[in-house]
Amino acid sequence: MLGAQLLVAENAFFYVIAAVMAYGAIRVVTTNNIVHAALYLVVVLAGGAAQYLLLGQEFVAWVQVIVYIGAVIVLFLFGIMLTRAPMKAEEKLTNDLRGAALIPTGLLAAILATLCLDAFSDKTVDLVSPIRTKAVTSAIFRGYLVPFEVVGVLLLGALIGAVVLARRD
Amino acid sequence: MNALFAADPLFNGDGLWGSIFVVVLLKVVIAFVVLLVSVMLYIWGMRKWIADMQNRTGPANAGPFGILQTLADGIKLFFKEQSIPSSADKPIFRLAPYLSILPAFLMFCVIPVGGKINVLGHETYLQVVDLPIGAMFILGCSGIAVYGVMLAGWSSGSKYPLLGSVRASAQMLSYEAAFGLGILSVLMRAGTMSTREIVNQQSWTNTDGILQNLSNFYVVPAALGFVIFIIAAIAETNHPPFDFVEAEQELVGGFVTEYSGIRFAIFFLAEFMNIITMSAVAVTLFLGGPNGPMFMPARFGQSGWVNGTVVPILWFVGKVLLLTFGTVWLRASVPRLRYDQLMAFGWKWLIELAVLWVLVTAGILVLGDRGWNPAAAGVLSFGIAGAAYGLLYLCMPKSGETVEEFR
Amino acid sequence: MLALFTQPIDAARMIAVPKIDWLAIGPPVVLFTAALAIVLLASLLRGRSLQHDLDDWVVLCAFAGPIEFWLGRFSAIRYNHDVFSIIVMLAGIGSVAFAMGVSIVRKHTFAASLVIALAGVISAVAITVAQWNVVRTSGSFTSMAGAVAVDGMAVFVMGVVLVATVFGLLLGTSWIRREQLEGPEFLALLLLCATGMLVMASANDLIVVFVALEVFSIALYVMTAFDRHRIESQEAGLKYFLLGAFSSAIFLYGVALTYGATGSTNLVTIRESLTGLVGGDNGLLMVGFALMLVGLGFKVAAAPFHMWTPDVYQGAPTPVTAFMAGATKVAAFGALLRIFVGSFDLLQTDWRPAVYGLAIVSMIVGSVAAIVQTDVKRMLAYSSIAHAGYVLIGVQVATESNGGLGGTSAALFYLGIYMLMAVGAFAVIQVVGRARETDSSLDDYKGLARKEPVLAGLLTLFLLAQAGVPLTAGFVAKLTVFKAAVDAGQFQIALIGMLSATVAAFVYLRIVLSMYSGDEHGSATPVEGNRLTVDLPVRITISLTAALVLLFGVVPGWLLDVAEHATSILAG
Repeated sequence: MLGAQLLVAENAFFYVIAAVMAYGAIRVVTTNNIVHAALYLVVVLAGGAAQYLLLGQEFVAWVQVIVYIGAVIVLFLFGIMLTRAPMKAEEKLTNDLRGAALIPTGLLAAILATLCLDAFSDKTVDLVSPIRTKAVTSAIFRGYLVPFEVVGVLLLGALIGAVVLARRD
Repeated sequence: MNALFAADPLFNGDGLWGSIFVVVLLKVVIAFVVLLVSVMLYIWGMRKWIADMQNRTGPANAGPFGILQTLADGIKLFFKEQSIPSSADKPIFRLAPYLSILPAFLMFCVIPVGGKINVLGHETYLQVVDLPIGAMFILGCSGIAVYGVMLAGWSSGSKYPLLGSVRASAQMLSYEAAFGLGILSVLMRAGTMSTREIVNQQSWTNTDGILQNLSNFYVVPAALGFVIFIIAAIAETNHPPFDFVEAEQELVGGFVTEYSGIRFAIFFLAEFMNIITMSAVAVTLFLGGPNGPMFMPARFGQSGWVNGTVVPILWFVGKVLLLTFGTVWLRASVPRLRYDQLMAFGWKWLIELAVLWVLVTAGILVLGDRGWNPAAAGVLSFGIAGAAYGLLYLCMPKSGETVEEFR
Repeated sequence: MLALFTQPIDAARMIAVPKIDWLAIGPPVVLFTAALAIVLLASLLRGRSLQHDLDDWVVLCAFAGPIEFWLGRFSAIRYNHDVFSIIVMLAGIGSVAFAMGVSIVRKHTFAASLVIALAGVISAVAITVAQWNVVRTSGSFTSMAGAVAVDGMAVFVMGVVLVATVFGLLLGTSWIRREQLEGPEFLALLLLCATGMLVMASANDLIVVFVALEVFSIALYVMTAFDRHRIESQEAGLKYFLLGAFSSAIFLYGVALTYGATGSTNLVTIRESLTGLVGGDNGLLMVGFALMLVGLGFKVAAAPFHMWTPDVYQGAPTPVTAFMAGATKVAAFGALLRIFVGSFDLLQTDWRPAVYGLAIVSMIVGSVAAIVQTDVKRMLAYSSIAHAGYVLIGVQVATESNGGLGGTSAALFYLGIYMLMAVGAFAVIQVVGRARETDSSLDDYKGLARKEPVLAGLLTLFLLAQAGVPLTAGFVAKLTVFKAAVDAGQFQIALIGMLSATVAAFVYLRIVLSMYSGDEHGSATPVEGNRLTVDLPVRITISLTAALVLLFGVVPGWLLDVAEHATSILAG
């Protein structure tokens, strides 16, 4: 009984959140105000986090919140405010290619939708035993230790690079 | 269900609706009301304490000892006219106060206030929700706390609020790392992220000695983590001596300059709610939460209403009170830092210290697992960390020193 | 007190320490350590604080001796006076020696960094040789939970990358000295870049491939923009960054879709899950590896994903261009071979036509577009696109049953030879470019033969080798690739390859002609009598590459042999 209730609730929430995400995503590219665009992106990312929760992936969901909403978008906003902090909408953010851009966008959406429906439409999510953080961490520190450590190298490289590029003569 | 959302006996049975729903709703409402009232009392207490420290009387007219002063202020603010600058971004200007109060309240939801109680025939924890990943929830909330301040400053369409919010966002981002690492040193010892589990591990057994019990609290084995956490939390909440968002001498009123009426009141509320919540987080992670000596267990039993419900709440409130008093003390006695000092301290000292502390903790734990003598493991870990810190110290240019370039 | 630091041992909470196979991950670890050491050295010596603190310490030690002596004389506490005195004395002498060492290293920080870097690369080479021996005696193996493969191809690619790194370090040293830039960071970035390439060479997991790709890409973006005096360098860095980030994202998308289709990112597991699968039926997989092909095609500079190549090769500092041409191509082709030939060989009917097309387009675009260029660096950039096309011929016949693994070994051999030819050619270009790298147009090369006969002769050698003239290594390389194609019965692509090589030869001959025609004063900028300075590192690079290009042109047997033994790809 609980499982059935959960499934109904999950499906209902999925569609509601997906609709909000879709609206947010469209507004990100159609709004003329760059700060608003960043905030709509927050809506999309938060929706993504919520979807992860619905799939029982609590760790991924909160990483999404901490990293993307708590750091990446904040840095976007920080950069915008440090450089010019526009208050008004900017017309030049809209260019003549918006019609043409619809074609590849629509094509990509169609292909991905077809592929994913084709591949995953018969899969169900096991909500009663979600993926625990412990499983995620042991995957990272055992199976995926090498990529995890190489990410450290990557960050060091980026750090040195940033220092090199930002240093004044 | 139990597995997905929260480890609460409330969800052990089947079903989500009916009385269980009512219980959940009740918990949310009560938590919110309690938090609001405690903010009111905190503001009053803060003004009284500071007044004492400065040889003044403080609020004295509204109610006994002026205890209703905050309420009076709130009512006044509520009825004041709200103005919005013509250059403001109106939707965001209206949204910002709520964005700022939301994380403060959400963070409180995962704090275990006491043990179990029975409500409407359901057994449940005295905690709004016990997320299996509560510590990350706390980090996430402190991560989104910056939005309120940042958007308030930007949407005002005015110079000083913008400066205030840029400063605030840089500050909060800078201290976020140390904040997380401070929590991490506890999580490594606890081996769990559930706040209730963390609290349970810092148990207090009446038969053991006081020192033995105190060393169960993570404040003892993770002492440096506690210090780092407290400093970072104060910076995260923009509390003095790190209150650059509203440095009056430089920024008029900081990010709230253009706000008035109830919106200003909400910012005010959020600021102090943050302090209480952060104190509660510190109590949960480091000071054993509601754990403490029981009151005459021989007479009242270990899990009756006295020692099962009332005494833990008292301990929790008492510990939070202690920490909040500490913040008031800071506010009264420490002058505000200079902004470059704040940044230098955060980036050059606190984060390094936090990273090294995490490494030391890892060293002690891993070597301990391998059967090393704890003293030897500690000496080795601290030695390596100390050497690393020494190297870092040598690498950092001293103040006033020019950096040479190699050609 | 001890109780404070103990936790009851709890098996559920115990931290499991993963096993590390140091032999398998040795080369990148060594390079990374060297990079760290350089960064640490540079930041330690950059501020003056170290000197100050050391001075204080020396003074302290100097005073400590007499104080200790008098204390020992008059103190009521009796202790072992002699031992203590000796310790104090040794500490004093040691710190004085250390302080002197520091002040010497301070004056030669860059040289010290170079020594560390070269030591790192040489140790990495040593470990690679050890891996080669293990692979030859006891076969390929995976380690680190299947994320790292140690097989013939990994070792071969690592070897080529490491040699290119040595050349990159040498050329970079000369360039940094000439341009008066800050050195240690450049060397550290170069080593980090090489670290990423080594990881990529032995990556047996798509996630590792992606992360490694990002490591070396980010280092390359920065190195491309390293020259702060030249706006072209900055522009090239930005272009490379934007397009490169885009292509990385495409690659990652491909990885995600492939994971969705196969349920694993491990290449061996992926191959196992593909048995009995008809690729065309699985749309997710098809799009997945198409996107991966696009992402890797960008990194190897194959047309039509080559748009960035001319601008970036031209704008980047020449040592970086040399390294990019030599090492990036090898590393990216290593991943390409491993993923497509190693893991997706069962689906070859699906991806081979695409690679076939890429090869033809690359050869044609690279050769034809180079004709109209007037900048030598740009010409060689287009020629590198054509070379990518030749390697792709080898890749696409690699799964052919009657061609055997000839395709793989031909591609690997070609990559090794191309690295030598490209590094040599760019080394000469670096010298001719002069300070600020102003002289790289075709006109600047006029009269070079009369002014610098040796340099011009060597550049001629490298260019002829790239054109594929017999008795140079380039000829053998082209021959093996075409032979692999013909063996597999693909005469058409071999024919197209030869035709494009003929067109490309025209390009190289244009440069040669320009060097040997015109008078000494044909060049606009060089002042009369202003000879080019060829310092020792460049001299070593040019002579080594030239010698090897000639050697492998006359007796290619040894390297061919190695390349043939290097065809063991683990998953395949």
